[in-house]
Amino acid sequence: MVNKCNIKMQSQSTYKVPKGKLLKIFLEYNEKSKLIDNLKITGDFFAYPEESIEILEYKLKNALLKREILIEKISSIIKENQIEFIGLNAEGLAEGILMCLK
Amino acid sequence: MKEQWRLLITENNSAYSNMAMDRAELVSISKGKAPPTVRFFTWKPRAISIGYFQSLKEEVDLDACKNLGVDYVRRITGGGAVFHDKELTYSIVIPESHNQIPKNIMESYGRICGAIVKGLKQLDIESSYVPINDIIADGKKISGNAQTRKAKTVLQHGTILMDVDVEEMFSLLIVPDEKIRDKLISDVKQRVTSVKYILGKDISFEDIADAMKIGFEEEFNIELNNGTFTDEEIELTNKFEKDFFSTEEWNHRR
Repeated sequence: MVNKCNIKMQSQSTYKVPKGKLLKIFLEYNEKSKLIDNLKITGDFFAYPEESIEILEYKLKNALLKREILIEKISSIIKENQIEFIGLNAEGLAEGILMCLK
Repeated sequence: MKEQWRLLITENNSAYSNMAMDRAELVSISKGKAPPTVRFFTWKPRAISIGYFQSLKEEVDLDACKNLGVDYVRRITGGGAVFHDKELTYSIVIPESHNQIPKNIMESYGRICGAIVKGLKQLDIESSYVPINDIIADGKKISGNAQTRKAKTVLQHGTILMDVDVEEMFSLLIVPDEKIRDKLISDVKQRVTSVKYILGKDISFEDIADAMKIGFEEEFNIELNNGTFTDEEIELTNKFEKDFFSTEEWNHRR
């Protein structure tokens, strides 16, 4: 979906994490700056503690939609908040987010 | 003397009530007010549960649920959408520090699923645990499982399929592309089995529960004693059912 001014974009992706679970991402971003406005991470993966997914969504606001930067930021949030993923990882999450741009 | 755990058998409860019972047990056991507990249960009305991280409207056809009288509820555990129809559902709640529970989450899945594998063996069904969270028999899924850890307490719940109607299941779930609905159904039929399919006959809930009881007792070298909820658990169940699991806010939160 593209809105009229062509800057604010909304997109979604479905991505099967290799050896993992099915990730479904809903993304709002600024097409010009390539910054995340809003992110919803859904899917049949496991994350401990469960509330950590909201922390990730919040802390990834304004992150630049670039693979290395996203992986680094996600990895640091995972470490900082002692998040344990099963069926998902930083690379898979970054890939799912970036698939929204395709 | 073997360690004594509590066994609860609660048939025909609503999805909201079932999820509230698990959470009430979790609170009570985390405070040391009840022993480790295994519960076997069924759902009435039939219901779909979705994983904590799933989007309800992306996964479940809410109109179809309404038409077929099927409830829906968001779990506190991750994992996928499950149609709870002809099955035995189990839950186990146990302190994380218990010496029978591995600290590592994947290892603890394996351990708890070991009880289900042993239970199925009682029914003459050979099965095995396949990470991340499945148990397979004859190369097909017969049980799905999901675990959370809160307040230093482990809650794992899962299903043992007694019979399965894949067509009806798919009529309740959102299919991303209608053109491939038939293919999805035939794929899932290839990948899912049930106690009835393997044994070629209907087995009652009671018989499966008896088998699973033995499975848990053998796996954990304990005795399961029939018990009841504590007064606090009953109070908490009512509260969680009303304040969380039956609310739009909880079920539609993602």
